[in-house]
Amino acid sequence: MTDQPEIVTSLMSVWTASPLLSVALTLGAFIVAQWLFVRFKRPLWMPPVMIAALLLAAVVALTGLGFERYEQGARWLTVLLGPATVALGIPLYQQMHHIRALWRPILVTLPLAATLAAAYALGIAWLMGATPEVLASLAPKSVTAPIAMGITEELGGSVSLTLGGLLITGVLASLFVDWCTRWLKITDDRVVGFALGLNGHAIGTARAFEISHTAGAFASLGMGLTGVFTALFLPLAFLLF
Amino acid sequence: MVMLRGFLVLVVFFLLGEAVRVFAGMPVSGGVLGMVMATVTLMVRGRVSTELATASQGLISILVLLITPGVVGVFFIADQFSGHWATVLVALVIGTLLSVFTTLLLMKKMAALGKEGGSHDRSA
Repeated sequence: MTDQPEIVTSLMSVWTASPLLSVALTLGAFIVAQWLFVRFKRPLWMPPVMIAALLLAAVVALTGLGFERYEQGARWLTVLLGPATVALGIPLYQQMHHIRALWRPILVTLPLAATLAAAYALGIAWLMGATPEVLASLAPKSVTAPIAMGITEELGGSVSLTLGGLLITGVLASLFVDWCTRWLKITDDRVVGFALGLNGHAIGTARAFEISHTAGAFASLGMGLTGVFTALFLPLAFLLF
Repeated sequence: MVMLRGFLVLVVFFLLGEAVRVFAGMPVSGGVLGMVMATVTLMVRGRVSTELATASQGLISILVLLITPGVVGVFFIADQFSGHWATVLVALVIGTLLSVFTTLLLMKKMAALGKEGGSHDRSA
């Protein structure tokens, strides 16, 4: 981009001096992605976050803004992930009566299933000779993004690789839950929702809310509990190995 | 103002979580510790204020917006992990299929047992 007129270059430097250009681009992509998602009849394999990320990547690469500069400005948004993680505790409290009603199956399933959600993928990646950095990035693959990013940072993985893994996992979980419930003849929305949230975090939860309100409530529950359980035990488990 | 008060509570819990992380030397992020503390506090109080519920709903509804910048990074680290993408994909596809299947099977078995257990309790 060396042959840009001087006025454009100076405008770019004024715009990128504050984080607001990155914030505007991210907000714009988010809104356009929501619109496109509805327009294309909510495809399971293409959630809004994927559309928004594709749009932003194209803009960042084509305008010569560059990922480094974009990311620096976008920190104004990502810093909110901390309080947003705390915010997940409020619906968790509001659904406490659901946990009480089904505490036995939840108590037995959650630790085992949440551990396996990480262990299956880690085992396969380890057998295929993945580096410690890749393993640390894959470990929180079924955990909701703000929590997963914290876990990856603690374990020394790559946050971007984790987010890529999360995205793929969320989309796959929505598809696989659909197939498996048909195959296992499961019709209980509570079970379907819980499995969606536990395996597919926020993307699975969004899918569950399309099935029914009960499925959605249990998906948030599965997502929240898996997040807390994995965040507490995974770093400890990694310390042991 | 209502939204701001709730937001302040969330930020304070986050900062408290960071404090616990540093002082206790725990390998868990401050956000998660703050979330656990917030949930426990609400359970002890037995109710949640409207301002806190409104602020948390607002933040949760824009979660996708907040994680988008990180996801954009995926397209710019492709080279760095170029030798690993096959591993990552196989691990994610097979791993997720197995874990979805296990979760559904476990929940189905346990929910059925729970119902039987319940009726036993009543008849006993």
